[in-house]
Amino acid sequence: VGGGAQVAPARAMKALTFRAPSVMKLMNKPDPRIEHPNDIILRVTRSAICGSDLHLYHGLVPDTRVGSTFGHEFAGVVEEIGSSVTSLVKGDRVVVPFNISCGTCFYCARGLTSVCENSNPANEIVGGVFGYSHTTGGFEGGQAEYVRVPFADVGPMKIPEDMHEEDVLFLSDILPTGYQAAEMGDIKEGETVCIFGAGPVGLMTAKSAWLMGAGRVIVVDHVDYRLEMARRWANAEVVDYKKEGNAHVIGRLRTMTDGRGPDVCIDAVGCEASGSFMQKALGMAMLQAGSATAVDWSIHAVRKAGTVVLIGVYGPPFNLVPVGVAMNKGLTIRTAQCNVKRYMTHLLDHIRAGRLDPKGIISHRLALEDGPDAYRIFANKQDECVKCVLIPRHAA
Amino acid sequence: MQGTNAHVMGWGVDARREDRPGVPREGERQRMGNAHWTVPEQQYSKEPAVIERRREVTPVYGTVNPPAKLSGVIRRLAYRAPDYRPRRWMLLMLADRIDVLEHAVVPAAVVLVAASAIGFAGFVGLRALRAR
Repeated sequence: VGGGAQVAPARAMKALTFRAPSVMKLMNKPDPRIEHPNDIILRVTRSAICGSDLHLYHGLVPDTRVGSTFGHEFAGVVEEIGSSVTSLVKGDRVVVPFNISCGTCFYCARGLTSVCENSNPANEIVGGVFGYSHTTGGFEGGQAEYVRVPFADVGPMKIPEDMHEEDVLFLSDILPTGYQAAEMGDIKEGETVCIFGAGPVGLMTAKSAWLMGAGRVIVVDHVDYRLEMARRWANAEVVDYKKEGNAHVIGRLRTMTDGRGPDVCIDAVGCEASGSFMQKALGMAMLQAGSATAVDWSIHAVRKAGTVVLIGVYGPPFNLVPVGVAMNKGLTIRTAQCNVKRYMTHLLDHIRAGRLDPKGIISHRLALEDGPDAYRIFANKQDECVKCVLIPRHAA
Repeated sequence: MQGTNAHVMGWGVDARREDRPGVPREGERQRMGNAHWTVPEQQYSKEPAVIERRREVTPVYGTVNPPAKLSGVIRRLAYRAPDYRPRRWMLLMLADRIDVLEHAVVPAAVVLVAASAIGFAGFVGLRALRAR
């Protein structure tokens, strides 16, 4: 190790590790080390399981290696710092964006930190991400007692002294992701926004759509308690597609919107969408990257010349979507992984002002040791689970 | 319209596009965070665990779980194809499945050795009994 880094003696930490599809195990791993002058080592105090972690958990993301630790939504305390870190000192509490971004490359300089060209050597598709397969750089995630955080002077945001980690934990991903989705919808005052998926990101998107002046917010899902959450927590109208019938969802949405369809449709589901036997079967047969039902429904449901936003995660190489319909309807299609850093301060202001309360969706708090159970509960939507937060033993 | 949504906390506070942090999509060029470099320093630790050889290694990268065994061979083969070829991704998915089997092979081998040892012990014991 060079660069004058402060090097701590090697220790063994506990980390949740991927063993096989639908199998996670708590294992001992060597503590992470400073590997770059601008690294820090973070002692994790809170780490959430994201809906997109389930795509990894189910083995749907290419180059997900056995032994990997997932987790890209975490906060913690700075434990060690690299020699060039100037913004943080040992003991600082920080929340970390899921993107790993250099802050100065062609893309970062334009605010597009999710496609940083200095953090992922694996491909030209996406920037580095914590704990999200070797397709995003092979970085370890935060579902562990410690995690290495590169470019510490760029991503991490100090947590205000009067705030708890859980107040700001979701600034790491789902809140900015939902906000950016609504923003990409280019919502104008009074417009109708339809969100497919009442999971954590869908709920954050619904809240954000109101901030942007939406006239109506409709959430589509099939899980009763999540629809109830969308109605109660996000003030949304809801459509249960199991009750409506899968084939009638689009007709129902048109009926609700004077026959035209919503102005903006947002896919907040991704590659594990149910609702279409054909999409599911083609995904399971590996003839496409999972099920693209939410994209299909978004394109068909949105009004002509409307906007479709895709924030659901799909792996390569391709999916079956109605491109011809999108073209003939004259749609605007916006997509992106979230450029988290760009939104943190703005959304922190909303949290402080009480306009957003992201921690309100936490349904389960479990010890890191119970991580395998947390994945099972979240994946199977048991016990009315909306969001799981893991707490390592050294969190206090 | 505002009246009908007045019950929603914060309704319309970001209605003006200039109040939205990601508008315009490509912002004015500036350093993000407290980056104090033009080009970041290069990571000094070992080889990246990713094995793409088509582009220069990035200033930071992950180093855990490097490719190994048969799955590693397939991963290396996969990365010979560029990221716009389906072949790369299909081979990586195949490698992922083999990786799982490779890690399941260890307990299977232990079971096999244990079963063989028990069988051998039983065979020797049976022969000893017959010899009496």
